[in-house]
Amino acid sequence: MSGPPDDVAPLDRALDAIRFAPRASLGPEIEGRARRGEAPVRPSRRSRGWMLGAGAVAAGLAAAALAMPGLTTKAEITVDRCCWDLDGGGEADDGVRVVAWRDADVRRLWIYEDVDQSGGLTRADVVRFERGAAPALAAAGVPGLVTREQCCLDFDGGGPADDGLLVIGAPPDRVVMAAIFERPAGTATRLPLR
Amino acid sequence: MSSAPVASVRPGFSLDRDPVEPAAAARVREWYQAHGPAVYGFLRFHLPSADEADDLTAEVFLRAVRAAHQFDPGRGTGRGWLLGIARHGLTDHRRREGRRRMVPVGALRDLCCEAPSPEERLLREERVAGLLAAVARLAPRDQELIGLRYGSGLDTAETAAVLGVREAVVRTRLWRALGRLRREIEP
Repeated sequence: MSGPPDDVAPLDRALDAIRFAPRASLGPEIEGRARRGEAPVRPSRRSRGWMLGAGAVAAGLAAAALAMPGLTTKAEITVDRCCWDLDGGGEADDGVRVVAWRDADVRRLWIYEDVDQSGGLTRADVVRFERGAAPALAAAGVPGLVTREQCCLDFDGGGPADDGLLVIGAPPDRVVMAAIFERPAGTATRLPLR
Repeated sequence: MSSAPVASVRPGFSLDRDPVEPAAAARVREWYQAHGPAVYGFLRFHLPSADEADDLTAEVFLRAVRAAHQFDPGRGTGRGWLLGIARHGLTDHRRREGRRRMVPVGALRDLCCEAPSPEERLLREERVAGLLAAVARLAPRDQELIGLRYGSGLDTAETAAVLGVREAVVRTRLWRALGRLRREIEP
């Protein structure tokens, strides 16, 4: 293709630099669906099946809301897992609570110390780290950081245990970054942190 | 409780499994490996979330499996044929869902980015989201052309084949579309 006119050349370069990568599990999923003979009808977001799924999600969220009111909305999934040594303190007393769209973006994430040994986040626990939708460092230039990785579990409510948890801690009890990633079975791939 | 696991059925899909030619079903892996990223990239340029692009990409390939007997290599490439299905799928999708003009920041987890820090990645996502939001304000014909050229990574000849026009026409339309995009961004 001959080059673009000068006035649009920067836009041509900017658009040309955009690349999206489908999730690694999409190809095998499509192949499986094709082999099973699924009809090519895209899921309707208002179908009966969706409504059944939404009902199940709403029931789960209602239970979660009883434990921690105000943390969730009806379209979100809450996953709470405990206990590991995530902050480098030496004791396996840390847990993670993730609020996410099912099998998709993380909305909020907490790393907590399970003070009351309940196996989940309660008001008695100490929150060591909290973030919103985007992974970000809570501090910079902190010496002695340690990285902890837990894989593979279902951290985002998607079903398969194909998610990993990456935590950067500052012993004995600080956490400066936490995010989850997807690692499809049988691969070493770690998809972008989310 | 009934023994039939109704809730486990994937929503929107027929319970009646239509027979699919085994050879065509086996071929879908090959097709996806060769053309999946191009189809996904084209759709992703027009859709605000990775989830919607996933759904529609799957629909394209499932349609292709059932229409495999209609593919004629003498009339075009496999990639062009699949992108033709994707164009129709996108049109149907817009008719069903209404056109989305927003590209929400934070929904670009599938954006390939080698930014060394989370902050730089966030800035990159903001720039890309702004650019795609501007593309979404263009006329459908401009959007489609930009999606084929940059989303799928087609060259002029391939784009011309998909659209059924001459290469010179593709070039002219593309530069004009970029001119309109520039005016969208810098009013």
